[in-house]
Amino acid sequence: MYAGRELSPDLDEELEMAAFNDAELSHEMSTLRQTVDLLKNDPGPEFTEESYQRVLMKIYARGGNIEPRAATPIHMQYQLPMQG
Amino acid sequence: MPNDAPRESLAEKRLLKALSEGDPNALGQIYEIYGERIFRFTYRFLGNRTDAEDATAETFLRVLRRSAELRADGAFKTWLFRIARNLCIDKLRQHKLLELPPDTPLEGSEERTTLRVTVHAALNQLPQEYQDPLVLCDLEDLSAQEAANILEISVPALKSRLYRGRKALRDKLGSLMEGT
Repeated sequence: MYAGRELSPDLDEELEMAAFNDAELSHEMSTLRQTVDLLKNDPGPEFTEESYQRVLMKIYARGGNIEPRAATPIHMQYQLPMQG
Repeated sequence: MPNDAPRESLAEKRLLKALSEGDPNALGQIYEIYGERIFRFTYRFLGNRTDAEDATAETFLRVLRRSAELRADGAFKTWLFRIARNLCIDKLRQHKLLELPPDTPLEGSEERTTLRVTVHAALNQLPQEYQDPLVLCDLEDLSAQEAANILEISVPALKSRLYRGRKALRDKLGSLMEGT
């Protein structure tokens, strides 16, 4: 039931002690924890810059008024000196 | 279990208030905060990047359209995920997507990739009532309370489905568990 290590350390230790003398419980806990670890270690799909921008474009295209905190556009990043 | 009460920072509360008052900057900032998580969540449901981008965009559009309903009571995150989930369910009904995505990431060793593909294939074969808590709690790291709110079920019911889902996934993975 608590294969995701949701218990407090004290209760977790009690569970471990109970499992120590119970091979079936021990196996159950071990395999369930491995299953949960497999899921928790999954890095998930990457939210690439391209995806980020495409989502924004979709929002704009469907009428959404959105102004994300984007980096300064390239053309505004450099201030060239005025030379007369 | 981690603290089950969803908390929002003071800054986020101000942001939501601004959104409900029609501030266009507010939606952008909310997208900055939650965009990646919603994308990842919808991708796990839908299995491909294009549909996930579409569902993510639609989620934030719905937030905008329904911003008048926003309450500063700590429920925004669960509300957001619920919108995303409902959109994914609608899309799945339309497309009946059951296969792994063609753009499954191939980074990492071949063995790790194979393992990830196997785990996701097994997850996708589970009934939706088992997939939901596994995705929300074990993949997206939401608390039991948050997941229960998103699914509109009680926390005990959520924990029960989570436990049965983990067992079902473990059983599907079968020999993979025995060998490690």
